[in-house]
Amino acid sequence: MINKNKVLVGLMAIYFVSMLIVSFIKADDEYSDTERRKLKQMPEANVEDILEGSWMSDFEEYVLDQFPLRESFRAIKAYTAFYGLLQKDNNGIYISDGYISKLEYPLNEKGLYNAINKFTYIYDTFLKDNEQNVYYAVVPDKNYFMAKENGYINLDYNQFFSILNDKLSFMNYIDIVNLLELTDYYKTDIHWKQECIEDVAKYIGSQMGVELLAEYEKHMISRPFYGVYYGQLALPIKADNMFYLNNQILSECKVTDLQNNREIGIYDMELAEGKDPYEMFLSGSLSLITIENPKAETDKELIMFRDSFGSSIAPLFVDGYSKITLVDIRYISSQWLDKYIEFDSQDILFLYSVPVLNNGELIK
Amino acid sequence: MLFSSISFLYYFLPCVLALYFIVPKCGKNVVILVSSIFFYAWGEPKYVIIMIAMIFWAYISGYILDMCKSDKQRKIYLILAVGVCLGFLGYFKYIDFFIDNFNKVTGLSVSLLNVALPIGISFYTFQIISYMVDVYRGSANKQKNIIKLATYVSMFPQLIAGPILRYSDMEKQLDDRRSDIDDIALGIRRFMVGLGKKVIIANSLGELCEMFKSSDEKTVVFFWIYAIANGLQIYFDFSGYSDMAIGIGRILGFKFVENFNYPYISKSITEFWRRWHISLGTWFRDYVYIPLGGNQVSQIKWFRNIVIVWVLTGFWHGASWNFMVWGLFFGLLLIIEKKWLLRHLESSKVFSHIYLIILTVISFVIFQAVDMTEALEYIKSMFGMGGVSLISAETLYYLRSYGMILLISIIAATPLAKNVVGKLENSSKYRKIVGVGEVVYLFMLLLVATAYLIDGSFNPFLYFRF
Repeated sequence: MINKNKVLVGLMAIYFVSMLIVSFIKADDEYSDTERRKLKQMPEANVEDILEGSWMSDFEEYVLDQFPLRESFRAIKAYTAFYGLLQKDNNGIYISDGYISKLEYPLNEKGLYNAINKFTYIYDTFLKDNEQNVYYAVVPDKNYFMAKENGYINLDYNQFFSILNDKLSFMNYIDIVNLLELTDYYKTDIHWKQECIEDVAKYIGSQMGVELLAEYEKHMISRPFYGVYYGQLALPIKADNMFYLNNQILSECKVTDLQNNREIGIYDMELAEGKDPYEMFLSGSLSLITIENPKAETDKELIMFRDSFGSSIAPLFVDGYSKITLVDIRYISSQWLDKYIEFDSQDILFLYSVPVLNNGELIK
Repeated sequence: MLFSSISFLYYFLPCVLALYFIVPKCGKNVVILVSSIFFYAWGEPKYVIIMIAMIFWAYISGYILDMCKSDKQRKIYLILAVGVCLGFLGYFKYIDFFIDNFNKVTGLSVSLLNVALPIGISFYTFQIISYMVDVYRGSANKQKNIIKLATYVSMFPQLIAGPILRYSDMEKQLDDRRSDIDDIALGIRRFMVGLGKKVIIANSLGELCEMFKSSDEKTVVFFWIYAIANGLQIYFDFSGYSDMAIGIGRILGFKFVENFNYPYISKSITEFWRRWHISLGTWFRDYVYIPLGGNQVSQIKWFRNIVIVWVLTGFWHGASWNFMVWGLFFGLLLIIEKKWLLRHLESSKVFSHIYLIILTVISFVIFQAVDMTEALEYIKSMFGMGGVSLISAETLYYLRSYGMILLISIIAATPLAKNVVGKLENSSKYRKIVGVGEVVYLFMLLLVATAYLIDGSFNPFLYFRF
């Protein structure tokens, strides 16, 4: 008769010895594609760090990051949380009808007011005296469309917009919320799809007195798009398809990355094949970009203060302007703006998403 | 180093166990001692010196106590030896508390020393005192071999969160112990169950408690959810650690005392404390309560003894007034029960159980509060006197999201599963299925606990601060 104690001890010994051997043999990974972050490497040992205990903490983080079958273990955790313990979310990430989102709760008034104060500072310092046309629009996050309906908590959007409208009354508000729906967003990513927001661009343009008439060809990126939430969810779900809109005008635009003093394209096809394909739109997170349209039939210019949502909609404004300047004040301090931008008679658009405004501490 | 860390589970423990079973019998205590010092130094590289110094003090004291010729000399030296240990504990754990309160009473502003608390000092100090008192009483011989004494004090399985081992229980085991395949299997079972209790249940409940604390929209129902989750978290956290300690001890051939015995099924506070942190309760009983006279004195002195023991029990848990109030709360309840209530509680199982749950839940709100102001605010809010609404969408969300874990933890806090498995094991029809199922279950626990460790960083051990 088989002795169950021997079986238990034997199996445990085999498991632990195997894991020990694998973890010593396995080469350390540099980067986690699913989490989009660099993984901890083996910390260098020195007496000071060991006595302080910081080496040990770093080592703990290192072994967590480099553990064999790490992604499989993360999936086990997600399955246990969602299907074993019936938790509604896993680390704040949830999935409903194939759409993944992250809880944005509660309303962070401190963050929102920080964003408002920065916008007000920019207006008072650089824009007010020029009597420029200043507009703002807010991109709702996916939770706006899917949280409440599916029993999730979300921030108080009424209060959120009420605070914004009250405090930014010196700007013209362009309400784009009703033009959007859940299907306008990627299932696995936080962002909206460029091919679904032509109407939004046209509406914003019309509100700024610009008629956008350009036609676009829709192109598909061959690589499946696994968005930022995919890795955080840690469950296997179907990838999105990613499209971009192009035409002759966009192809001929001169796009300058002033942060790195280089010319880039509207779309970076190398980044489209990279770790975060959404970075293909205007080369991702850059603080200052100009798009010059040589085919423009107007000399109007636009300065757009924006977050990453702006990267995919900005090309759709090109048709109506000779030059668009995109500023991301998460990466450049507001007080230095006049060193890089000559404020004159340009149209000004503040286009920000709810998550960035609700975490407005990020805005400098 | 935490038991519930990848470095302990997958690197430290397998290497130590491999080494332990490879070396001959005479080297086994050395393996435990060296690995224990490494284990401790991993978390407290500087304060390992304090522990080593106290071990030497205990070793020397054992000799001196043995050499003292008269009872008076022995008593005086015991007071000195224990006093030094308590002096260390007092300095590291309570000095800032005393300075702070001295400043409040006198209006002076003596600077705080901001002394960091060495991990596990409360546990190993009590073990050293146990050694000294046992040698003094003659219930144990002085330990001539410092390796064995150091192994007893610093033994990594129970070094930083108990159970508190009595020297008289461990004396023979330090000299001679054996662990066969059944002991190892039993130890593995115990360890895995403890790991699951800590990592899957306690940490999930801890997340719920954190959600509550960070909420701006607390409600009466949310206060109760927090109070229940908090009481369960403390139980699963601490009993999980004890299970892991007992399990590792068993693998190494030691038989540690049990520390928990389903305390939440108790029907009185008196019974609760026979089932909760048993090693601390019996320590205070044998080394404080009985020497004070226990219940073999006048009623007034008996009650005094109870109050002293419970205020000390509370104070042992932390240098804060809420811990003392927590201890006093139990002391007073025990007096009331012993004098009047116990016989009434025995007559109604339902009432006595509700009584026990409500009082323990409230006690752990006091226990976990930052200070008494917060504790009172929470308790008032639980009973609708905090000016908060009854329920909100947020409360309902967290109740739905953590409902299953709360249900599992409530069931797991009872011996239901243990009894069912026991019955099935006794049935020839199901014995084989239970045997296979148990191995699968233990592996699942290990894999899921590993997954939780890898995925999350929420992993504090509540009893480390003691």
